[in-house]
Amino acid sequence: MKGAMNIIEEAVKRGAKTLSEHESKLFLAEHGIAVTREVVVSTEENAVLAAEDIGYPVVLKGSGEALSHKTEMNLIAIDMRSEAEVREAFQRLTSNPEVTVEEVLVQQMVKGDRELVIGLTRDDQFGPCVMFGLGGIFTEILEDISFRVAPLRRVDAMEMMDDIRGKKILDAVRGKASVDREVLADILVSLGQIGLDYEKIREIDINPLKILDGKPIAVDALVVIDNE
Amino acid sequence: MTCVERAPADAHDLEKIFNPKRVAIVGVSSNGMGFGAGILSSLLAIGFEGKIYPVNPKGGEFLGLRIYSEVSEIPGEIDFAIISIPAQNVPAALDACRKKGAAGAEILSAGFRETATPEGIALEEEILEEARKGIRVIGPNCFGIYSPKSGLTLLPGPDLSRESGEVAFLSQSGGMAIDFGQMGKWMGVRFSKVVSFGNGVDLRESELLDFLGDDPETGVITMYVEGVEKGSDFFGVLRKVAEEKPVIVYKGGLSDAGSKAVESHTASMGGSERIWGSALRQCNAAQVHGLEEMAEASLIFSLLPPRSYEGISVVGGGGALGVAACDAAETYGLKLPILDKKISDRIMSILPKPGSSAFNPVDVANPLVPPQILKDTLLLAAEDDKIDLQILIQLLYHYKSLAMALGVDSVRDVTPYRELADSVEEVVDKTGKPVIIVLPNNKRELQCMDLEEMIRDARDIFLKKKIPVFDDLFDALRAIHHVSKYYAIKQRR
Repeated sequence: MKGAMNIIEEAVKRGAKTLSEHESKLFLAEHGIAVTREVVVSTEENAVLAAEDIGYPVVLKGSGEALSHKTEMNLIAIDMRSEAEVREAFQRLTSNPEVTVEEVLVQQMVKGDRELVIGLTRDDQFGPCVMFGLGGIFTEILEDISFRVAPLRRVDAMEMMDDIRGKKILDAVRGKASVDREVLADILVSLGQIGLDYEKIREIDINPLKILDGKPIAVDALVVIDNE
Repeated sequence: MTCVERAPADAHDLEKIFNPKRVAIVGVSSNGMGFGAGILSSLLAIGFEGKIYPVNPKGGEFLGLRIYSEVSEIPGEIDFAIISIPAQNVPAALDACRKKGAAGAEILSAGFRETATPEGIALEEEILEEARKGIRVIGPNCFGIYSPKSGLTLLPGPDLSRESGEVAFLSQSGGMAIDFGQMGKWMGVRFSKVVSFGNGVDLRESELLDFLGDDPETGVITMYVEGVEKGSDFFGVLRKVAEEKPVIVYKGGLSDAGSKAVESHTASMGGSERIWGSALRQCNAAQVHGLEEMAEASLIFSLLPPRSYEGISVVGGGGALGVAACDAAETYGLKLPILDKKISDRIMSILPKPGSSAFNPVDVANPLVPPQILKDTLLLAAEDDKIDLQILIQLLYHYKSLAMALGVDSVRDVTPYRELADSVEEVVDKTGKPVIIVLPNNKRELQCMDLEEMIRDARDIFLKKKIPVFDDLFDALRAIHHVSKYYAIKQRR
């Protein structure tokens, strides 16, 4: 947990408004949340080595704390299946005309079969609150989400999963394994605890949180630092 | 926002505050003008049980009571004070009342934080400092306390009920307190304690809620809040109290900042309204969206045996009524199970034909069906194990049409509503399953005031028998849903 505190303290010191995707995941992993296997590289050679280490297929993403809207900025290359594809993607991402990209995140490609969102916000009246809902592009379109005030009891975590209209997505449907609600509950409870323990964290998005063989894994994450 | 920490409420002090034996009213002018004289006449009119000591530097007399020129002149100690003087004089008056032994004071005066001026805010700070020396404060800028047991009443409440009940109400708004007090009177809600706490400089939502949670006279708590001071404290108290007894919250006003800059989807979707709804759900508090819904929920919480109700039978006239009942029940997560074939056959054998049906809803076809048949129908339907609660819809206004057709002057002469009330009471006693009465009136023209009067009378008769009455089926189902949801969650957790 010391590592997690350091990540936040360093970000505060350098005046960062957000953690990069990779730092956000390092922080969450310290709190027991499963994240994608990934490495930050700054050379094409290292990108290839990382991809081989992680195993194909991989995802390459432009990395940096200012790059929180990577899809819109065309800074993502998904499903890279060979050395050649990785090299080509590295060159493309680092030669983006609109932003300077010095580092690239090479990441395990998680197909998953469902996308959820989990997040943290701070309410003026009630303080840290945890969100749960449908993830990916559906988050904003459907707003099928629920909130709970921290600290969350286990029963709160369980009930908030049942609050969304699309709760059946957690069940064993169409040959998919049912989602491990216990692990989801662990994540929801620890996110609330993060809100109480780290005053300097203002918001967190874990979106998407993909489901792979019934287990949740954070594929993208954003930690917002209170650095006003 | 104040900087001095508040003390938790002491139950002994609060007992003296709600049921004082000796009360000073600071700011009574002998010409009868102003809030001080107003609250004094309200207390006399409602029949306040204790002794009243009016105070005003000019002295004199009002309504036969001597006006003391200073608080210190009052013989002996006081329990409680009602303060209605210009804001700048309030801190000194509070000090004098504390020295006279008052456990608390309600400050009706305005001119404090709500003015948003430095002077007003500073005066409110002074009040809190006085309070910290050992006198609890309700207000300022409020209508005060209504306690039917002692006859303490709100500023504009000379005619509130003296009958105590188990519903408590905490309100940031004075207007809402008096509105609910008056509405409760005809709707059948009886109160244990009502507090309009206004600016809430000392005692406010969290402290008072905590106290009511332990108050043996209070079984159901209702609240109107616009915003709470310390959300996490309030959340903790609410969660604890709602585990013991139902708490119904009407959150008014949209305090959403809206323009707040956020980076994440989570923050952009977590607006104030949504978080309030979630917090109340998490605490298992019932959220209502209006005064009537709050009053109706509190009525039914206080009258029905404490449990979750799922299967409901609806007995009434008119097929469309049945469809409406099914739709509304579904909206509120309640069920209208089809009655057991043997039971519905027996019901059919006693109902008038044609036009009736007995599956559930039970359509009695004719609005003038005699009470005896309605009673037998309810008794039979209650035999079905799937039925937890019954609703009887009676369109009494058809009797007015009947009276007019027969040339009878008063609708009361042709309407068997007293007999109906006795019948329903008998059904509840025999079956142990509650019955709720719905009395819609679709005939409200001026020429039919006798009908309106009769329906009011019928309401009172049912309510005296502890049978809940509603004007509308939809409202009844909404209220039942609050009760069912509360006890279902309580049991599940």
